[in-house]
Amino acid sequence: MINTEQLNFIRKTVTKYLMEDYLPFPVNKRACYEWANGLNIKKGGSTILYTGCSYQLAELGKKFDEILPFLPKFKSIEKFSPLAKIFLKPKNERVNKILRNVVSLLRKAEVDFGYLYEEEPYSGTILLELGMLDEFREYAKKLVNFFNSHEVKKIITVDPHTHYTLFRIKEMLDWNVDIVNYFQLLKNVKIKGEGTYVFHDSCLYSRFLGMRDLIREVIVSSGIILKENELVTGKETSMCCGSPLAPINKEVSEKIAKTRAEALKSVSSKVLLACPFCYANLSPYVESYDFAEVVKVE
Amino acid sequence: MSDWDIAIKRGVEHNVPRVFNVLREHPYLEELARKVREGKLEVSSNLDYYIEMTMKSVEKIGGKAYFAENSQQAREIVGKIVGTGKRVVLGKSMVAYETGIRKYLQSLGNEVWETDLGELLIQLADEPPSHIIAPAVHMTRERIRELIKEKLGVDPGDKHEDIVKVAREFLRQKFLTADIGITGANAVAADSGSIVLVENEGNIRMSSVVPPVHISITGIEKILPNLEYALYEALVQAAYAGLYPPTYINVTSGPSSTGDVEQKRVSPAHGPKEFHLILVDNGRRKANEDPTLREALLCIRCGRCHFHCPVYRALDGKWGDPPYSGPMGAMWSAIVYNDYKPALLCSHAGNCREVCPMRINIPKVLEYLKWKYFNTK
Repeated sequence: MINTEQLNFIRKTVTKYLMEDYLPFPVNKRACYEWANGLNIKKGGSTILYTGCSYQLAELGKKFDEILPFLPKFKSIEKFSPLAKIFLKPKNERVNKILRNVVSLLRKAEVDFGYLYEEEPYSGTILLELGMLDEFREYAKKLVNFFNSHEVKKIITVDPHTHYTLFRIKEMLDWNVDIVNYFQLLKNVKIKGEGTYVFHDSCLYSRFLGMRDLIREVIVSSGIILKENELVTGKETSMCCGSPLAPINKEVSEKIAKTRAEALKSVSSKVLLACPFCYANLSPYVESYDFAEVVKVE
Repeated sequence: MSDWDIAIKRGVEHNVPRVFNVLREHPYLEELARKVREGKLEVSSNLDYYIEMTMKSVEKIGGKAYFAENSQQAREIVGKIVGTGKRVVLGKSMVAYETGIRKYLQSLGNEVWETDLGELLIQLADEPPSHIIAPAVHMTRERIRELIKEKLGVDPGDKHEDIVKVAREFLRQKFLTADIGITGANAVAADSGSIVLVENEGNIRMSSVVPPVHISITGIEKILPNLEYALYEALVQAAYAGLYPPTYINVTSGPSSTGDVEQKRVSPAHGPKEFHLILVDNGRRKANEDPTLREALLCIRCGRCHFHCPVYRALDGKWGDPPYSGPMGAMWSAIVYNDYKPALLCSHAGNCREVCPMRINIPKVLEYLKWKYFNTK
């Protein structure tokens, strides 16, 4: 059920790549920031929009999870990483659209922010969620130094995993920074949405970050109709998408996703969500959309 | 859909709305849960003191108290009391399973029967339990029918009621002829030496009253400061398990007794003439020394976290080391068996923390156990 060799591989290689390159696996960094081309977001600043490359790498991460059981068997895998850093450049127009729309929403909310482009680091979520806390702490120290050296005082996150990870870093280390999520900045913004969906809560937004009601308010005030069922969408009953288990056991992760998708379909045929990892795990089994994919600024 | 998927879907659909309704209809239960947590924290902050107080209290009311450091000691203590060639009825104790009591007594030449229906099914199938209080939750009624047909030679039919009827007829004879009854304890009152047991089937009442000897085996974390807290624990456990009000709450304070002759309390009377309480450590005291892991000792075994956990459902109930399963089982596998691996499978959905009556931050404990796994390698 648990492949120890696979876990050791993650522990060793992911930590190595993070400490070297601020990314969990070798990939061309353009894949993380090309979405921002042409938007004229200033570089850096005391307030930054921070994607943590989550949306951009979620699909690639899923593919990584698929080949993960085989990777430890290739002793010379390391030799391919310089090539991957050049040629591995996934492009996802859907993700670009989501992130660009987040920028539009924040601009409508008159939020002043910059972006770190090619310097933007990954948050270290995978180490935290797998419980590799010693490695996570080391990487977190590096991350805090990085943000401090860039004089970042406020970070706007766009996904639950990055948001939660930064909170945990604040809890672990002495880090003077404000962390806000883009949903928290949209309370008074006129957003236009339509259609009927069932909302799949991110576990982190809903049960760890206390944002369940806030997110629903933003969605519903846009005009979107959300269908609810106490046994499927309740705070205590809404189930995980299975994504966090993918690096440990792909089959269990997929079984959780299928079960969740079936439950959601019993409420509405279309699922709305707000997390790239939930999308990656659920979309093969149910018609899914990210919130920032279906709304517009009025 | 697999048998497990069908069975757990039915189980969740029956249990989850029922618990919500119970808590809505009886709002005082949440307050009682807070009190039980308070009592448990008090005991865990003075654990050795309360163990000693409990043992003295049991002796004071005519019972015998034992402390077992590990499973082997627990088996030896029970083995000495029971001996050989006896008929033993077991009234559902997870600690008895943890310490291997049933199989050990059988190896000594005793006839041993589980009397909780779920446990009996597990015994007949020779399978580990899949849920902390609904041990046969992985079996559909169709499979149970086949199992009973095969093992007891009777076709009970397809209806839930008919299946229960066959078990009742089979077990009644065992209760009436048993030499020894063994139960667990939902709570132990340190001030009075009383054990409190909550149930619905009546098997625990029969096991603890009909045979001449009653042995209760339980973990030291079940101790509460006094009988008031212990009774609250039974109410809270029943409510969060989903069967409320419970059909029976049993309080046992030593062997049976009477004061009917000139108001002098003498023992035994009609019930058991002997009462033995075995308090089992088996890793619990060590866990209590650990500021993160000690939270897990607050668990009252309601099994609610199982039904809200996506991982437990996806793993066909086989998450954790039996009898401990589900989110609480991932914690207890570490406490009792030093096994940190189950914790690695936690997806930190967080539902378990939301529904836990003791407000145990289960994801936090499991994150810590993941770290322990990597840190102790």
